[in-house]
Amino acid sequence: MNNKKRIPAYYWRRASQLVCLALFFFLFIRTDYSGRDKIEYAVNILFRIDPLLALSASVAAGFFIVLMLPAVVTLLLTLILGRFFCGWFCPMGTLLDGCHTMASPQGQGRERRYRSLKFYLLGFLLVGAWFGLPLAGYVDPFSILVRSLALAVDPALNALATTFFTFTYQQAPAWVNGLTEPLYTFLKATILPFNQKYYDLTVLSLVILLVVFLLERLERRFFCRNVCPLGALLAVTARFSLLRGRAGAKCGNCRNCRDVCRMGAIDEERNISPLDCNLCLDCIHHCPGNKISFQFSGIHKNRPTFALSRRSFVGSLALGAALPFFLKSRTLARQADPLLIRPPGALPEEEFIGRCVRCGECMKVCIGNGLQPAFLQGGLEGMFSPILKARTGYCEYNCTLCGQVCPSGAIRKLALKEKKKEKIGNACFDRNRCLPYAKGIPCMVCEEHCPTPDKAIKFREVVVENSRGEKVSVKQPYLVDELCVGCGICETKCPLPGVSAVIVTSAGESRNPAQALPDTGNTGYP
Amino acid sequence: MDRREFLRQVALWSAGLSVSVPHFRIGAALAAESQPSLLASATGKDYQELVDRVLGPLGGMGKFVRRGDKVVVKPNIGWDRNPGQAANTHPQVVRALVEQALDAGAGEVLVFDRTCNEERRCYVNSGMEDALAGIKDNRLKFFHPDERKYVPVDIERGKAVSRLEIYRDALEADSYINVPVAKHHGLSRLTLGLKNSMGVLGGNRGAMHHNLGQKLADLATVIRPRLTVIDATRILLNNGPQGGDLGDVRVLDTLVASVDPVAADAYATTLFGLKPEEIESTVAAYGMGLGEMDLTKIRIIKA
Repeated sequence: MNNKKRIPAYYWRRASQLVCLALFFFLFIRTDYSGRDKIEYAVNILFRIDPLLALSASVAAGFFIVLMLPAVVTLLLTLILGRFFCGWFCPMGTLLDGCHTMASPQGQGRERRYRSLKFYLLGFLLVGAWFGLPLAGYVDPFSILVRSLALAVDPALNALATTFFTFTYQQAPAWVNGLTEPLYTFLKATILPFNQKYYDLTVLSLVILLVVFLLERLERRFFCRNVCPLGALLAVTARFSLLRGRAGAKCGNCRNCRDVCRMGAIDEERNISPLDCNLCLDCIHHCPGNKISFQFSGIHKNRPTFALSRRSFVGSLALGAALPFFLKSRTLARQADPLLIRPPGALPEEEFIGRCVRCGECMKVCIGNGLQPAFLQGGLEGMFSPILKARTGYCEYNCTLCGQVCPSGAIRKLALKEKKKEKIGNACFDRNRCLPYAKGIPCMVCEEHCPTPDKAIKFREVVVENSRGEKVSVKQPYLVDELCVGCGICETKCPLPGVSAVIVTSAGESRNPAQALPDTGNTGYP
Repeated sequence: MDRREFLRQVALWSAGLSVSVPHFRIGAALAAESQPSLLASATGKDYQELVDRVLGPLGGMGKFVRRGDKVVVKPNIGWDRNPGQAANTHPQVVRALVEQALDAGAGEVLVFDRTCNEERRCYVNSGMEDALAGIKDNRLKFFHPDERKYVPVDIERGKAVSRLEIYRDALEADSYINVPVAKHHGLSRLTLGLKNSMGVLGGNRGAMHHNLGQKLADLATVIRPRLTVIDATRILLNNGPQGGDLGDVRVLDTLVASVDPVAADAYATTLFGLKPEEIESTVAAYGMGLGEMDLTKIRIIKA
């Protein structure tokens, strides 16, 4: 990392950023069914090296989550190298750097007014996590990025491609199709998702991502400097880091380094603050006198101060400690939303929400397009956590992918055999809408799709009077609670327009004994 | 309305050049064939050889596939189930049929199904992907249906349904070979050849279930296989059409083949100890003159 003569140092940083970004996109695309029951790559590694999420989830869980052990490596490296993670690795940072031309010309911004915001936020999030209001996933840069890509950008990209290639397929002459169809096939095989997915909160997810990017208008890396709580945690660690940049004593006071610093880390006296410096190494390159160097040094005596207002910091901690108790008086605390159906393997609700980092990986990987980001079903603190919306999609009976990609173990990784025993909800019929009951019309699409080997949806053959007054024999479905796993395929496939005549609720979910259904005397799983 | 005109309509509609929905009327001559239906049934452990044997009495694959034909082999790959569970057509049977069609000089052989479970899982776990990957011939195209290629078709003779969205390749095929698996079905008791044609439908297929028997017969007026091969190598007796419990599976090592789709279904029904009259779609299709269901009028050859 020293100042090489031929290759400027920042080239290495850029190369690292590009490689990491490419790796990030590769893993993002691979967060999908690949023809095997097991995900072959550690697609969730990004979240497992994130010390903020590891800390927040562990604090909420009350013990260290082993799955997130790689985050310790990040912290150890930060102790040595400083905030290299922000400058060399973070895909969000790289994307922000990529559109730095958005920043207004005067936007080099040495504004320090908001600089402490991230520390207050960090304090609030960790204390909140401890007391039962886990919100780190809302603002963690990786969560924002992956969630927005999965819920908004990726599906929109696919819709765009489909629209375009449908247009060429239908309207363009044959020779154009000779070019576009192979291109479409190629894109489908590489970067496009296998099929169109549909998500809730698409626009909100996109807006959050856009805000992060639009903040670049104020100053470069505004989010990283002022908001990012992961950056804050790394800054706290980097305070002790061994690798430091320093400017030589005799310099011409050109201030090039200050102007070029994307993190605003260099002060009037050209001290480079390890709290902010992300080791982009641009200053080395722009220093006309070659005065700036990065060197390892021993333990530092004079550590930079955080310049926090004690009152604000204590205030943010107090807020984190107090707010959770407001949650305990909501109606939700007394009665969970019956449509809050969690993925198979999800921990009991309180533990689940504590650990869920809102990364969107499970929703991205859900091949039935059943998992959706919650809006308010789980309360404000549950926004973007996964729920099964069975009218949109269902939980595929032989699939265990969501548990495999969950980086924090909020959804347990289950073997297929265990997963099939996991009951996430229970179906019930609305006899006022269900055709064989309401109209005497044969249907049974739900029963056809019911995946348990001994079908949970069975039928009775009865003679009823249909709406024309004729006596007809129809098969009417009913549910065996003990066999139903709550996968929701019946609700997805119910051919009625609008509301399904069979609806899945969280009743009977195996993670919550309080939701147990009345005993019907059926023996259940064979 | 002849077939050529119909294909022209499909092409025009697909190209966005026409907004009038293609419609297809089968000539009376086609519907009222006078010769007795011929049906072959064969039993054996080697499914590759079994396919060969069952086609023998019908004149072999060369009778159904001419040089340069666009051939559709339409198995049931509807479910995320493995071959032993009898929910999908046996991959070795499909493979043998594809190979024979290729050997007969087909211009291309298309294999696809619109699945009920997730598409990729069905293709993989049915064993179809592995079985067909072994065929190194670029005339074979095994693919997932493309949303853009469903064409609305007016079912002129339809009694219960007047319009359906049908996959373009199925409409355009010179030779359409239907390869259902014989299995139990809650609503229709059995799912056989006529039900298997639902795999070429787009849109909300669940609506077919409201008067399924007649709607399948209506569909059969448009999707007319040149050959039906019913896979009864193992049949699902209960909890169909998806199964999952090996206790519901019975191994019969049998294939049934016929040019007459109704006769094939009628005969296969007897493998379950049921009578052809008990299957609504068979009765409805017979009623529309689409084939023979009277077993005494079908020439059954044990090959």
